[in-house]
Amino acid sequence: METPAYAPRPPALKRGRRRALISLTPLIDVVFILLIFFMLASSYLDWRAIDLNSPAKAATGASAEGALLVEIQSDGLRLAAEELSLDALALRVAARLREKPNQRVLIKPADGVSVQSTVDVLDRLKAAGAANMSLMRGGQ
Amino acid sequence: MHFQQPRPKNDDERILPLINVVFLLLIFFMLAGKLSSSDPFTIAPPRSASEAFVDAHDLVIALGAQGQLAFDGALLDEASLKQAVADRIKDETSLRIWLKADSQSDATQLITVMELLEAAGVDRLKLLTVPAPMEGTAG
Repeated sequence: METPAYAPRPPALKRGRRRALISLTPLIDVVFILLIFFMLASSYLDWRAIDLNSPAKAATGASAEGALLVEIQSDGLRLAAEELSLDALALRVAARLREKPNQRVLIKPADGVSVQSTVDVLDRLKAAGAANMSLMRGGQ
Repeated sequence: MHFQQPRPKNDDERILPLINVVFLLLIFFMLAGKLSSSDPFTIAPPRSASEAFVDAHDLVIALGAQGQLAFDGALLDEASLKQAVADRIKDETSLRIWLKADSQSDATQLITVMELLEAAGVDRLKLLTVPAPMEGTAG
């Protein structure tokens, strides 16, 4: 250092900044390490949630009768053994819900169907107004 | 025109703008991110149009693309998962349970896990998703 840090300031340099007593370099090192830690350790996913219901819990008594059964196969969707597209299925379910607002819908994915396809169908039916949906295992 | 920058006298003053930026970045990452324990395997969550926000993760059960199950950061099989969850919710009944499933995992297995958790006494189960991109087919 050319001058001691605590030397009295010359009056001409009144606006000048006070010199730091401690070097900032170690501070920056620590801040960089913290920055990298937070960048790597945090997750930035925007989580949402959907309800999962199984028929065992939702069903009280014999209400499985009269429920719409939507089967998700790896090659398409079936409503009561009739093959349909997702749009047609949503229309059909929406029409049914107009008659019977509390219509139960059972969704039965086949083996090998991914969670994403199932979630797509759940989303679509929810948008069509279905509130009472349950997931059902294929083997039942 | 000719501007003359006053030259800083020492190194510290020269890197002050850098420190300011790094501090801002640090604060941004601290506030924007959420610290959470990582899962034992990678999970690509399914996309959905659901609007329900997730406020707190109480118990998270992870289901991987190959059917692996994990709870509390440990890989478990179905029987021990059921046991572990039952033990945990015995003391605290108000816990919320989240299922974090990979989008490519088998839906049949998801339902198997769902039934297993119900048998363990789980009252309300939710599936974690991420919002679909804007140009997606949702809705």
